[in-house]
Amino acid sequence: MSREYELIRSLVDMADTLVEDFDVVDLLTGLAERCVNLLDVSAAGVMLAGPGGELRLIASSSDAMRVVETFELQAQEGPCLDAYRSGEQVSCEDLTTQTTRWQRFAVVAVEAGFLSALAIPLRLREHTVGALNLFKAEKLPVAEADLLVARAFADLAAISVLHHRSSVEALVINEQLSRALTSRVLIEQAKGVIFERAGIDMTEAFNRMRGYARGHNLLLTNVAQSVIDGTVNAAVLGTRRPSKS
Amino acid sequence: MSQEVVGASGAGIMLMGRELPLGSLCTTNAVSAAIEELQYTLGEGPCVDAYRQDQVVSEPNLADPVGARWLAFTPKALDAGARAIFAFPLRVGAARIGVLDFYQDRPGPLAEKQHADALALCSVVAHSVLDIQADAPPGTLAAELEVGADFHFVVHNAAGAVSVQLGVSVTEAMIRLRAYAFSRERSLRDVAEDVVDRKLRLG
Repeated sequence: MSREYELIRSLVDMADTLVEDFDVVDLLTGLAERCVNLLDVSAAGVMLAGPGGELRLIASSSDAMRVVETFELQAQEGPCLDAYRSGEQVSCEDLTTQTTRWQRFAVVAVEAGFLSALAIPLRLREHTVGALNLFKAEKLPVAEADLLVARAFADLAAISVLHHRSSVEALVINEQLSRALTSRVLIEQAKGVIFERAGIDMTEAFNRMRGYARGHNLLLTNVAQSVIDGTVNAAVLGTRRPSKS
Repeated sequence: MSQEVVGASGAGIMLMGRELPLGSLCTTNAVSAAIEELQYTLGEGPCVDAYRQDQVVSEPNLADPVGARWLAFTPKALDAGARAIFAFPLRVGAARIGVLDFYQDRPGPLAEKQHADALALCSVVAHSVLDIQADAPPGTLAAELEVGADFHFVVHNAAGAVSVQLGVSVTEAMIRLRAYAFSRERSLRDVAEDVVDRKLRLG
């Protein structure tokens, strides 16, 4: 299979994640593998920012890569962190000369066999969600054509991650909306039950239920459910008396 | 606003949950209010289908539909003044929120531009509903969503009362209320109001 075919295939696969449900870790692991297979790099890894903005390692194409990236996160220095923080591409053609820029990281990377590095932010407009790291065993810059492909991969990954996040957020809020309405419905049903049992109006039915919930330190929704199930203490319903309405 | 953007006679937004209408967020006139009320009472209609099938449902000629569907809803929607009806699902990503219903007082399909405008409007409405709810205190419904909304709380009051009258569950009581309303050609709300006013007992 030609490289061109493989490249197109990869872009199409990644674009597919926008229409179908997908797993972010799966997508980013695939991204790291594709970079190693299609580009002239020795290893690839992806970091994503957590809710608090702290980077986490999501995917590494090799064990050596995982060790170096984990160290980068612990030491809080290195090309990946710089790319994420600045939102700009960071490249270094010779890590052996970087002992002042990334004092501790450079030593560990060189020891692991990586002599040059390129980090590309996963960014969509002002949102930077993480970074793609590419390491090489030689002191050479990443070829221009490879750089273009890596950027396209990083952009697609950023769009997929953001799309996935907003979809998950929407699901959570929609769920909250349904739950809020459901609990309101339970309360209205319970009011009807008390209204009928105790022969009082809806407002008073609600006041009794709320009084009971407060007195027993219970959630109103839970009391309402107990009223509907008929398991709540009869005291909440009070004695029958004429309707006020 | 919705009917102006699309150039329809009227529009309504129905929130949906577990395949059934939860209540309408807003309606633009009496006809669209009647359409939403009917769908809530009957549990059938374009909004229910659009939500279940997760796609746009169109009936450009209610008086002479292509296939027989909504046997209870259609004659009553015609009585209310609708001649064509269109239902668009409201969703954000995988979150399915409800349905935007449009009706026309004359038969005919939506023009291509109207269809496109409706789709764009749906995206705005769906995002707005979630944005508004996102700011609500946990466990509560955003107050802004309740303004102009009709969640049929009186129907749930009545279901609670009827469950005691009949000695059945509230779910069963709701079914009995719907059946009572349907058999007497009344809206669920009217029947529920009678129960709550102690004018009607089902037991």
